[in-house]
Amino acid sequence: MPRLSSPPSVLAARQRRERLTRRGLFFLTVFPPLLVVVMAAVLLGRAWPILGQNSLWALMSGRVWKPVAGQFGFLPFLSGTLWVTLAALVLAVPPSLLTAIYLAEYARPPTRAFMKPVLDLLAAIPSVVYGVWGVIAIVPWVQHTLAPFCRRAFGFLPLFRSENPTGFSIMAGAIVLAVMVAPFIIAVTYEVFRAVPEGMRQASLAVGATRWQTIRHVVLPKTLAGVLAGIVLGLSRALGETMAVLMVVGNVVQVPRSLFDAAYPLPALIANNYGEMMSIPLYDAALMTAALILLVIVLMFNVAATLVLRRMKARSQ
Amino acid sequence: MKSQYMGLALIALVVVLASACGQATPAIRPEDDLQGVISISGAFALYPMMQRWAEEFHKVHPGVEFDISAGGAGKGMTDALSGAVDIGMVSREVSEEEEAQGAYWVPVVIDAVFPTVSNKNPVLDDLLAKGISQDTFIKIFITGEVKTWGQVVGRPEITDEIHPFTRADACGAADVWAKYLGGKKQEDLLGIAVSGDPGLVDAVAKDPLGLGYNNLNYAYDAESGRPVAGVVVVPIDRNGNGVAEADELLETKSEAQEAVASGRYPSPPARPLNLVTKGKPQGLVQVFLEWILTDGRQFVGEAGYIPLSSEQLAEALRKVR
Amino acid sequence: MKKHWHWRHLEETLARGLMLLSFAVVAVSLALILGTVMARGLPSLDWAMLTQSPKGGYYLGKEGGILNAILGSLYLAGGGTLLAFLFSLPLSLYLQTYVRRSSWGHFVRLGLDVLWGIPSIVYGAFGFMVMLAIGLRASLLGGVLVLALLEMPIMTRAMDEVLQMMPEELEQASLALGATRFETALRVVSRQMLPGILTAVLLAFGRGIGDAASVLFTAGYTDRLPTSLLRPAASLPLAVFFQLGTPYPEVQQRAYAAALILTVLVLIISLGSRWLAGRLGQFVVK
Repeated sequence: MPRLSSPPSVLAARQRRERLTRRGLFFLTVFPPLLVVVMAAVLLGRAWPILGQNSLWALMSGRVWKPVAGQFGFLPFLSGTLWVTLAALVLAVPPSLLTAIYLAEYARPPTRAFMKPVLDLLAAIPSVVYGVWGVIAIVPWVQHTLAPFCRRAFGFLPLFRSENPTGFSIMAGAIVLAVMVAPFIIAVTYEVFRAVPEGMRQASLAVGATRWQTIRHVVLPKTLAGVLAGIVLGLSRALGETMAVLMVVGNVVQVPRSLFDAAYPLPALIANNYGEMMSIPLYDAALMTAALILLVIVLMFNVAATLVLRRMKARSQ
Repeated sequence: MKSQYMGLALIALVVVLASACGQATPAIRPEDDLQGVISISGAFALYPMMQRWAEEFHKVHPGVEFDISAGGAGKGMTDALSGAVDIGMVSREVSEEEEAQGAYWVPVVIDAVFPTVSNKNPVLDDLLAKGISQDTFIKIFITGEVKTWGQVVGRPEITDEIHPFTRADACGAADVWAKYLGGKKQEDLLGIAVSGDPGLVDAVAKDPLGLGYNNLNYAYDAESGRPVAGVVVVPIDRNGNGVAEADELLETKSEAQEAVASGRYPSPPARPLNLVTKGKPQGLVQVFLEWILTDGRQFVGEAGYIPLSSEQLAEALRKVR
Repeated sequence: MKKHWHWRHLEETLARGLMLLSFAVVAVSLALILGTVMARGLPSLDWAMLTQSPKGGYYLGKEGGILNAILGSLYLAGGGTLLAFLFSLPLSLYLQTYVRRSSWGHFVRLGLDVLWGIPSIVYGAFGFMVMLAIGLRASLLGGVLVLALLEMPIMTRAMDEVLQMMPEELEQASLALGATRFETALRVVSRQMLPGILTAVLLAFGRGIGDAASVLFTAGYTDRLPTSLLRPAASLPLAVFFQLGTPYPEVQQRAYAAALILTVLVLIISLGSRWLAGRLGQFVVK
């Protein structure tokens, strides 16, 4: 019988190398979870002076933020983060999905070839630039065009009514964030759609479905998990964004009640005040608490998304 | 053969040693013996000034190099106290907690904050004629009792709202403005918070009903000396008589500088800008600080700041020496 | 045959309309951003900006350029990306080869996703604290380390996603020929997915070079060209940030020019690597 593989000694050596490599590389995989734990631990340690004193509930629901007076209520910042991120997602996800579907299913190759580098570029534009663009273009537009329009058209809903006279608002932050996040969602969704085998589409079209029907009933169910992953990706980027949002969101310590109110998200709190920590007692503990809260939010969110994704994958199997 | 190499090696060694010794005694000019790197970070307010000082000092002492970063007064304090930099630029007062952690501060220039409104303000003429008193400012920025421009100028028929603006980032300007308004802190100021001094000027210029506050260099244009386009500096009615005297109206930068230097402009919101070190400055840093307070003074005016008064200067020098 | 106007035809038209609209919105946004940055930045862009470091009067509106920030950003992001790559590639290969569906694999991926979602300011603060603890001052090295930390999750996860699209047949063919799993990973998988890997690296690089919050605390700033790992290094995002904060309109305009330079830099590198990926495509089995 012809020998297909190398002599036993060489094979043994390769297998040994394999085992060693595997064991060695395993340590690499420990690093990411370890880093999360270490970060959380360090933050917790620095946040302890406050956390140890006040109940978590009191901190989370407190509305008053006056560090000099020793009052640390995080509710305004928590709700600010929530408002801006949710609004950004609502603004970003539908157009992104539709664009991705268009690029994947309908567009001609030249369009596709053009848009891919364009999307990469959008994803790579630094946040400072987005922030600058937001201040120059978006904030005035919100102030002079969008807010009055919404007040006239939808003013009966408190969501669209605000006393904020400027364009520095949740809406401005959401728009800037949405533009920042869209390329990620589009890119991932696009790849996911492209990965669906052409055969399935052909089969569907062959039985007479329109292209949109094909997409909705055949392609989409297969890609749902991937699409969700893309949205989660976008959300992570949105939560993690500091600079651009800070420049346009108004930074007023209040619990927002309208899209056009100003807000103060958690990352902005940390960024604006990080330098002041030495001067006010407990201030650095407060900021570290804010950072810790962010970490926990991101953690909880990712765990939830993972569970949902796993459920979906199991069901489609 | 070995001895030949040994000989060569010895000669090489001697040559190297001789040249090293030779370099130890070059002809020195007294200025040239300073070497080192000074790292500085902190307030945007002092950033351009410090760049200028660094350049001039480097000309006199070419062996000294500088690493200067902005980032805000708070960052400067944090960096100085944690030993991350040699000097922190802090555009506000040093607090007791900070002193307790070792902050040693030296004032170097004076800066001031001026209240600003849009040049399209509905009651601009009244404002320029009457000014706004400290009490009114407190009622706008701290307690929120005064809500309309009509209330400010005593014409209740005018119901246009006031839109106060303040600073989002922790900064000396907000700190000193709040201090002027009854010893409060930045966190007590009401209003939409905008990032950065230029951002505040911008917001006020774009909003006819806006009211903000800015440092000297940001309120007035560097070239023309007049307030930045779209913005007017509101006189502070110091004696509360409802009339803006001629010397309370500050239409140009030099008038403003003069008002501060002469003490006519209240202090706060005029305040000295400080350089902070951890503990008393030593060595190279001490030389640099002393230079700033002596030869460095000539560059202060052109950079658009106000020099220390003679008593302040004497006090500062005493702290440095 | 009678042609019926089914609702599904309407649906199709509607869907197409919406899609084109979305596409237009996205394309227009990009044009707007680039346009604004260019309109504001181009006037202040001159040769001096690109080739000189700031002279003393630069922040008062006088001569000089931002070569210190351009080089600094390249070194910082380049170093950080390289460091992250050395870590991410083996890690993602391992994830793909050994723990693709195991719980440990999921756990590690969860960790990576969480790390990705943490705001860069937290990385900056964390990096600052660690640096103080080990006695490192604001420096190029500090910035590189923090950027590597920042970029690693992005790079790994992106590579991971890319590697998951590896055609199984190729992998199985390699294994059938007697290669060990890791040999397969190293020789076959990484070559096949090279373009995708490059995209992942690019994504991470873009995040690294554009981030201000993390380098503010760790790399510091200086007007000097970066020559030493232990001295602070300037960076373009901070150059934009600081220049925007000065009172002189000329300097603020220069901030936009710096932003433009940064965007163009990313564009050049992005296009350059696309070309490289095209060339490397010769290793890809279609």
